[in-house]
Amino acid sequence: MRAATPTTRKRTRAGKPKPRQFSVSPPLEPGAPSDLDLMQAIQAEDPDALAQLYDRYNGILKALILRVVHNEAEADDLLQEIFMEIWNQAKNFSAQKGKPLGWMVTLARRRAIDGLRKKQAYARAEERLQNETEQQPDAWVHNATEEEIVLGDTRVLIRKVISGLPPAQQQAIDLAFFQGMSQREIAAKTNTPLGTVKTRLELGLKKIYDGLKELKDEL
Amino acid sequence: MSFEEFKKHSRLYVIGALESEELEEFERARAKFGKKAEDFITECYGLHEAFALSLRPAKSSAAIKERLMAMVREKKGT
Repeated sequence: MRAATPTTRKRTRAGKPKPRQFSVSPPLEPGAPSDLDLMQAIQAEDPDALAQLYDRYNGILKALILRVVHNEAEADDLLQEIFMEIWNQAKNFSAQKGKPLGWMVTLARRRAIDGLRKKQAYARAEERLQNETEQQPDAWVHNATEEEIVLGDTRVLIRKVISGLPPAQQQAIDLAFFQGMSQREIAAKTNTPLGTVKTRLELGLKKIYDGLKELKDEL
Repeated sequence: MSFEEFKKHSRLYVIGALESEELEEFERARAKFGKKAEDFITECYGLHEAFALSLRPAKSSAAIKERLMAMVREKKGT
């Protein structure tokens, strides 16, 4: 697996394009059931399939929730609630609408942001976010080394795409996606004109979108 | 709204960053472009997956899984 670079881009896909769902899911062990297999088993009410899906993705979903709520105990509670919701809402999942991981992430993000708002914890979370940003524990602003890229870790490759953005664009996307902020809220928080926030979001998201498509071609 | 403009809005839409006045215009364009629009929005949701995968996975306690599975089995049994 190699990092996507302009010089290594593949442009050889032939034939009529089908509806694309670019996915950069981590690779599975040989013989392991696919995410879709597990979702279909969950739809058939197989608890073991949920247990497998939990083992596969609890770390990613917990990281996402933590990024929103910035509180370990709240994140654990939400993680449990979200997997329960996955069980309860599995019948609403459609493979035509996207990949299981994308569906779970969308559900988890929405639930985490709702939880944050319901508990009116914005002020506390902002304070923690501020502290964590100052300490830079796991910030998006991360320069992937060549050694990391050679290791082929999906996370590192995605972060390389994201870290290629100017910090202001990363910040705008971070606040929108992980904190659920509107353009106006971002403008107020960063003391930036609304039009500039919109431009940062549009440019940043397009670059990530394009970068991920190239990455997917390489994987 | 042109389809190129719609694509820009779609990327904002999937992360919930469209303002209410933009949302109305977006929904009109979505209806106008039909399946092509739905396919593009679906594709954009791949951004969610990528943002989550960009994070370092976090550890959670085994007790959560035990509680979850107990709840699921109880629900299934009822």
